Amino acid sequence: MSDTSRDDERELVEQARRDPRQFGALYDRHFQQIYRFVYSRVREQTAAEDVTSEIFMKALKAMPRYQDTGRPFAAWLYQIAVNAIADRYRTMRPSQPLDDFHDLSVAGPALEDLAAHRDELRRIWGLVESLPHQQRTALVLKFQEDMKIEDIAVAMGKSPGAVKLLIHRGVSRLRDEADSLRPVE
Amino acid sequence: MNGHHDPELDDVLQDEELRRLATLLTSTMRPEPPLDDAFRSGLRRQLMQQAWDMGEGRPSLWRRIFAPPGLAWVGATAGLVLIAGLVVFYSTQQPGGLQQVVVQSPIDGSRAVALQQAILVNFNQAMDHPSTEAAVQISPATTVTYSWSSNTLAVQPASGILAPNTQYQVTIGSGAKTASGQSLSAAQTITFVTQPPAPPTPSPSPTPRAPATPSSLLTGEHQLAPLGGALATSTVQWSADSSTVYFVNSKGALDAVQAKGGDVSVVAPDGVSSAAIAPAGDRLAYIRGGRIEILTFAAGTTAELTATPAPTLVGWAKDKVIWAAADGVYSQAADGPARLAAMPTNGALKILSLAPDGTHAVYLQDLNLFLLDLTTAKSTQLGQANAAFFGWSPDGSQLMYSGTAGNIAIADVQGDSVGTVPTADASWSSQDAILLGSETDLYQAHPDGSNMTKLANGTYRLPIWAPNATAFTFFRGGLLWTASAPALPAVPSVLDQATTAVNTFMLARQKGQADPAAALLDSNGKQAYASGGLNLIINGDPFFSRFYVLTQAVTGTQPDAATFVVRLVLTHGKLDVADFEETLTVVRNPTTRQFLIDQATVGAHRDLGKGAEVVGVVAAADSVQVTFDSDLDPGTVADSMRVLDSKGRQLDATTSYANRTVTISGLGLKPGAQYKLVVLTTLRDVLGHNIAAEYDLQLVAPVAKTKADHKSGGVTASPAPASPSASPSPTASPS
Repeated sequence: MSDTSRDDERELVEQARRDPRQFGALYDRHFQQIYRFVYSRVREQTAAEDVTSEIFMKALKAMPRYQDTGRPFAAWLYQIAVNAIADRYRTMRPSQPLDDFHDLSVAGPALEDLAAHRDELRRIWGLVESLPHQQRTALVLKFQEDMKIEDIAVAMGKSPGAVKLLIHRGVSRLRDEADSLRPVE
Repeated sequence: MNGHHDPELDDVLQDEELRRLATLLTSTMRPEPPLDDAFRSGLRRQLMQQAWDMGEGRPSLWRRIFAPPGLAWVGATAGLVLIAGLVVFYSTQQPGGLQQVVVQSPIDGSRAVALQQAILVNFNQAMDHPSTEAAVQISPATTVTYSWSSNTLAVQPASGILAPNTQYQVTIGSGAKTASGQSLSAAQTITFVTQPPAPPTPSPSPTPRAPATPSSLLTGEHQLAPLGGALATSTVQWSADSSTVYFVNSKGALDAVQAKGGDVSVVAPDGVSSAAIAPAGDRLAYIRGGRIEILTFAAGTTAELTATPAPTLVGWAKDKVIWAAADGVYSQAADGPARLAAMPTNGALKILSLAPDGTHAVYLQDLNLFLLDLTTAKSTQLGQANAAFFGWSPDGSQLMYSGTAGNIAIADVQGDSVGTVPTADASWSSQDAILLGSETDLYQAHPDGSNMTKLANGTYRLPIWAPNATAFTFFRGGLLWTASAPALPAVPSVLDQATTAVNTFMLARQKGQADPAAALLDSNGKQAYASGGLNLIINGDPFFSRFYVLTQAVTGTQPDAATFVVRLVLTHGKLDVADFEETLTVVRNPTTRQFLIDQATVGAHRDLGKGAEVVGVVAAADSVQVTFDSDLDPGTVADSMRVLDSKGRQLDATTSYANRTVTISGLGLKPGAQYKLVVLTTLRDVLGHNIAAEYDLQLVAPVAKTKADHKSGGVTASPAPASPSASPSPTASPS
């Protein structure tokens, strides 16, 4: 995020802190991102809608207590999202096939490599889903949501060092379990 | 290899293979998940409503400044000085110089407002109701009713729903006054756009049905009767065969109406306060004038039962009538009324409900909720102080009340927890589905909270299931409504898949994304958009702000094909000013199975705001249903609407009009033949405005089912004024 848009966001957050009726601008700005993250975790539209509603309702109610820690506002929303998803789906695992969310048809490799590449991606993301909860969350926030480690730390309520450890352990475990991964040039 | 290098990971993943895996994970693109725009805007509306409530409920600045105890006296003194100053100030001011009136609405600016709801207008201070209601102007022409809740005015269309695909402007004119007599400094306008109606089925039913949102899973939604008073679930009863609804109206009359619709019949003319159908469905007990009357349906006779003290609620325990009174719950014994269980003798007491099996009752003692066992006369508290009661399971063995976490707790009568569901108006079906209705939406879930499914957006207050667990009643805008909820969501059809392609194509164009839009054109489609007249990307002011499907139909099966008439709306600033239509034929590519746009034609531009506008058309085997954005002058409908055959001859037909929808029936359309719907300029809205120009729509009558179980039929359009050159390609017609 550029300094200008960060300043814009600070302004919006401050306005919403003073007057909750200004929260609409923050909702418009972050809805798509949060909904997409939630959907990627629950993979069912109705459930994604329920969890997203819960996240923004909690965020709105907590706005007067929000404190700017220098991290993006989205990191705070992700923190609420991570907790909401964990609360709601502690005993459940998404059932929809992986391809439905991760678009495996990446552009780039030659056609003959595409099928193998898709298989490899499918297998890796399948392994991500089988990782322990904390490792899985850290990897999804890093590689799918493209978040900075410090922001992931905010979202997961951990130190940046702990997040790095989770990512390292998660990727190492993927390597160990993906014996037959085929390198793609 | 795709994926970008992330320097943050350099010190985390030092092994080359780990970095390769990280790059691989980063290279995966994220497609957009399925998103219901109605959900997005509905949630925004809920948040804004909540924010508004929070804003009203927040302590004032002064209160916060003076909150610390050490400053309390200083604050109080300063407050007194301030108040005195204000009194002096205002006593010297003219009446117009007080706090400025602020008008807001949670749906202002929304582009996908659900149809089944009132238009809520919030004022920042108390208003004078008559002058404010008189100052309301609505465009397009709509007959409305008003109701107030605190400083919020609910403007409800008399038909119960808003028109689909329509930009509304609700203006509060400067004639509106506050309760203290201050006028608005200037008129204020709320602008919003409504959602589309439910897409027509591939083989539309000849039976007219109320429009619903695309996200609605309900069917058969329609009004049953006006109530004109406060909502009361205890007085709504379904007959055992789910065919008839009994209810008490605002005048105390016990009425009956068929669930499928029809006239209301009077069971008891006045003084009725509670009613209950016997479990066997053969009798109806109700309280009238302090006595209990029992109507036996088969004989049509009514028996009376005198009870002292006066009964307040009536119910059944198997085949015996039971009733609640101030001091306990009674049953009729051989020698007269017998008290089953006594109420406590201290505190403010009120029995709220008798269980459907007659074994328990729920009562309030002061602010606490209790469950009373009518066999042992023992009471058990439910939840914490101020808990509310939400209802019973149909067999009376379980009940719903306020949980500790702001939700509804579900427990059996022994007190064992079953689950929780979100707080809403709740009703429990014989198939263990709990309806959860509110001002803004309707959900369904199992008692353990699982399978939570959104059924619809809109107002669904106090739903009550019928015994068949399919139909239910609910309240909306002072009216009793009914609808049916499905057991399972529908499977995507050919038309749904074609609709997805059209929506994707149109959305890309709306965003100005030429490449993604062009990717949905086949070679014929590309030629159509390259040959002039049709623009893939629409630039300029007014700008292309939104689109909606006016009508759609499957028109071929080998390969699958469908024809859509899409209306594109042009907006200047916030105001929709013009529109035009494109007729698109989409065909499934037999290799990729993807639907692509194969043919396209465009119609003329029309200015908006000049009389009623057609916003939806459904063609069926022998009828055509046309939905307008305005309430129409019914006297002008029959002579202004006609269907012509391919030789221009008018077909004999019967025209009916209700809720902005004209149904032309008895047409006897020949499957596959071409027809034209004509709306003449003699059609007027309720404000007396004629439509600006004749509107014509080319129709292809639906064809019968094929062996492949596909349904065919077509609708194409050419906007008025009609001309042969504007007619769609004949290839849209099924063979």
